Amino acid sequence: MSKPIQKLVDDLPTNNLTVSMLRSLDFVIPGQWQNVTGFENTIRVVTGETDESLIQQIGERAIYLYNDRSQGYQRAMWLYQTVDSTDVALGTAALANKVGERIPLLGFLNRLTPKADKAQTIDLSLKLVAELVAFCYINGIPGDSIGDFVASLADYSGESLMRMVALVCVDGLIPLGPDFILKAQSVLNDTSPKEIEKNATFQRISDAIPGVTSLNKLLFIGESFDSVKGWMSGLVSSRNLTPQKVVSNLQQAIEVADDKLDYLAAFLDVATNYYEHTGTQTLARRLIERAVAEI
Amino acid sequence: MIFPNARRVLAAFLLSILLFVTACQTQAPSRFDEVQAISSQQKSGQAVAKDATQGGSFNQFFPKASRGYERVYTQEKKGFAEAKLKKDGKDLALMAISDTRSLPTAAAKFKNATKQIAGYPALEIGNTQTAVLVADRYQVKVISRDASFTASDREALLKEFDYQGLAKLQ
Repeated sequence: MSKPIQKLVDDLPTNNLTVSMLRSLDFVIPGQWQNVTGFENTIRVVTGETDESLIQQIGERAIYLYNDRSQGYQRAMWLYQTVDSTDVALGTAALANKVGERIPLLGFLNRLTPKADKAQTIDLSLKLVAELVAFCYINGIPGDSIGDFVASLADYSGESLMRMVALVCVDGLIPLGPDFILKAQSVLNDTSPKEIEKNATFQRISDAIPGVTSLNKLLFIGESFDSVKGWMSGLVSSRNLTPQKVVSNLQQAIEVADDKLDYLAAFLDVATNYYEHTGTQTLARRLIERAVAEI
Repeated sequence: MIFPNARRVLAAFLLSILLFVTACQTQAPSRFDEVQAISSQQKSGQAVAKDATQGGSFNQFFPKASRGYERVYTQEKKGFAEAKLKKDGKDLALMAISDTRSLPTAAAKFKNATKQIAGYPALEIGNTQTAVLVADRYQVKVISRDASFTASDREALLKEFDYQGLAKLQ
């Protein structure tokens, strides 16, 4: 069996490269995201309760809910973990001694290859679809409900909002440039079912994407991207986001030269797991909110 | 010359093993270990009763949004539905209806209720919650999410649910 939810939340790092990266994106949504870790601590933060017996009851109910597979929470967790699970071993091993320090990027360059625009676009849109499907699993809305998801994006806050901000900055603006939405859309339109079948992440999460054939799934991915692009471009324009602005903030955590942005994207891909990190936080929060209402 | 060194290395090695092993042993058991062991034995069906009411059918009984307040539905699962009460973009409270068929202890706690809201037994729980039990089955809760939303605000909001409709569900 996969790790228990309380262990996943207890094991969330308080300080590593993922956390530093997310902190350096605070300028986009100031004060919105706190790195809440630890299962009991999350119960206290989410509910504001201090009574130990209540905390025990809430924790127990949340664990029951998570362990009941018919409730879909484990599947959502698996999705968050899977879209993030590109070769993290390289990054984490190399960074084991570097936690808390500024990390010079140059040493990694010879071990990384920037992804082509197509691979980057597929990565971005698969993360978006994973968000949509996980949202539906967690909140109980039918799995293909693009409309409900888009409506609730306006209500995203805390760690969920931070995840979407990181998606736009780290998987959109940095690798694909300021017109990443147009670029990604044209690349998606130009992608065949055969091509997407070759993508490792697609192979793993394909069953979770609505649609019977790869073509149906590809169309669903395109449709999802299309319906979220308004939200993404709104974020970019309202915060005046540019790749340069994002990079100059990321430089608080990582030393990187401006002409190496392609490498920066590849580096962040292998060295961070922001989807899994904030996804665990979102899931814990929703479980606890339901548990406290039910007990 | 080799032996003392080897002995020193061995001693250091054994010491580190000892430290490693004791470190493992001294890890305190978590207060949630027991429930984890019980609940992971059964893969599905242990958290929500088979005959629990679908969450979607609860939605119509929540208070309507009015006077600048916003109602945003957040979760809708079998036996459970939840919505937020917001004002000016701020979360004030959570409103939830759940079917206690899945969790009989949730209904049992109302046996000691001394208070009533809209004619139903009501309880204040912890610092942030007020709950009502309808038709001995459905628990309706309002949970404060902001310090400005007090116990009397919770009670006032609880009076706005459609209890007659909810009681007829079963």
